[in-house]
Amino acid sequence: MVKIMLCCSAGMSTSLLVRKMLSVAEERGMPVEIEAYGVAEFDVQFPRYQVVLLGPQVKYMLSTLSEKTASHGIPVQAIDMMDYGMQRGDKVLDYALSLIEAAH
Amino acid sequence: MSSLYQSMVTVIEQSITPLAGRLGQQKYVIAIRDGFTAALPFMIIGSFMLVFIFPPFSADTTLGFARAWLDFSQTYREQLMLPFNLSMGVMTFFISVGIGASLGRQFNLDPVMSGLLAFMAFLLVAAPYADGKISTQYLSGQGIFTALITSIYSTRIYAWLKEHKVTIRLPKEVPTGVARSFEILIPVVVIIGTLHPLNLFIEAQTGMIMPQAIMHLLEPLVSASDSLPAILLSVLLCQIFWFSGIHGSLIVTGIMSPFWMTNLAANQTALAAGAALPHIYLQGFWDHYLLIGGVGSTLPLAFLLLRSKATHLRTIGKMGIVPSFFNINEPILFGAPIIMNPLLFIPFVCVPMVNAVLAYTATKLGWLAQVVSLTPWTTPAPIGASWATNWAFSPVVMCLICMVVSTLIYLPFLRAYERSLQKTAVENETRSPLTETAISN
Repeated sequence: MVKIMLCCSAGMSTSLLVRKMLSVAEERGMPVEIEAYGVAEFDVQFPRYQVVLLGPQVKYMLSTLSEKTASHGIPVQAIDMMDYGMQRGDKVLDYALSLIEAAH
Repeated sequence: MSSLYQSMVTVIEQSITPLAGRLGQQKYVIAIRDGFTAALPFMIIGSFMLVFIFPPFSADTTLGFARAWLDFSQTYREQLMLPFNLSMGVMTFFISVGIGASLGRQFNLDPVMSGLLAFMAFLLVAAPYADGKISTQYLSGQGIFTALITSIYSTRIYAWLKEHKVTIRLPKEVPTGVARSFEILIPVVVIIGTLHPLNLFIEAQTGMIMPQAIMHLLEPLVSASDSLPAILLSVLLCQIFWFSGIHGSLIVTGIMSPFWMTNLAANQTALAAGAALPHIYLQGFWDHYLLIGGVGSTLPLAFLLLRSKATHLRTIGKMGIVPSFFNINEPILFGAPIIMNPLLFIPFVCVPMVNAVLAYTATKLGWLAQVVSLTPWTTPAPIGASWATNWAFSPVVMCLICMVVSTLIYLPFLRAYERSLQKTAVENETRSPLTETAISN
């Protein structure tokens, strides 16, 4: 089971992307758990996931947030602006998988 | 054009992004924002009661249903006021706990304890107690700034004491749970021991208790926050941040919320007293006139995109339209894109500023109802605008005007952008036919 967390200001716009990613994963027959949260919930939620992807609009928090996850060995990265805007579930899912791969 | 764009990108990368980073990740700004977010559901539902207490009909109406409603609200006014008084009327309770908990979490403290500690710190200075009764005078809008200060102070003290291991030391044999129950005692003692005498001292010196003194000091700032320059400045900041790809509304609302809440409470007090409403610039004004369909008021743009000649823009329109109704427009911002797109910079910044001037002027002229209620920011614009004013009709008209303005300003720039997209598509086609599909993918 691959566990991916998305995070933006209130977890609203990333939740749009979650749906797209889930349908791609389903097509591929891949068991995944993907959830979106607001930054306020970041600390409580991230330890349950293997990778955290940020909406590009909160990319400015990247350094602070990755400091928090570093001790857990959980990678945090921002989603590419275009992939985010176009809601490319497949590309973002691939990106998340590649980050998990690279971290282990 | 391209050198101008380059220098713009440089400014964004070298000054705006670091500024947003500093502002938006400031522990206290985050705590204040989280605190208000935590308090919001109580205040939204509490202020929703206003429509039952003050039905949106004129007092001499003869309409059967409206008459019955009005009579009902007059007979049972006190009972109807209770949920309002115990939510909006004591909003500082929720705000204190929310800020204390958020800041506590950031300092790695137990959030329940730091929230409760913040709550007590606030009560100590803002809830004068006599004859078995607490005065509620400073528990609503008049106490917000005090709540910010006492919550931050109490949590900082708690963190400092913990960091410097100022605690009651117990033998190792004592179970950790028992040890922890003692851990919080010292911060409570220190908070009471500092805030209570300070409050007594301020009262003895000035004749005002702390929240009164703080409001007295902040009076000029609070009234300046409700002016056209303040509106334009906060909108401009938000738009420039967002254009740089940074969540500007998060930062601006974090700073504005204490002012908005203070002024909202003043408007509600005036409404209850039957007086003229003193304030214009409140959350409802921001959400439902300036951010129609999301930041930059892009709902009308979403409709324009749906009918665009460029395949790429049509796709974005289809993807963005439904979330846009609920004021979520990231697909449009990042997809069109508007962010870092020099051709759309001017309308993106101008639309909310022009609308702000229009809505402000209309209110000043007495044509537009003022905000008295809290609404969720995801409420579709005309509905949210009307709800915020206790269901007046004028905000619906204002919203539609704002949408027309938005359409008119976006349209020429969108056409120019479409032309530039087509031009690059044609140029690419002569070189490689593959690139165009990549763009319209």
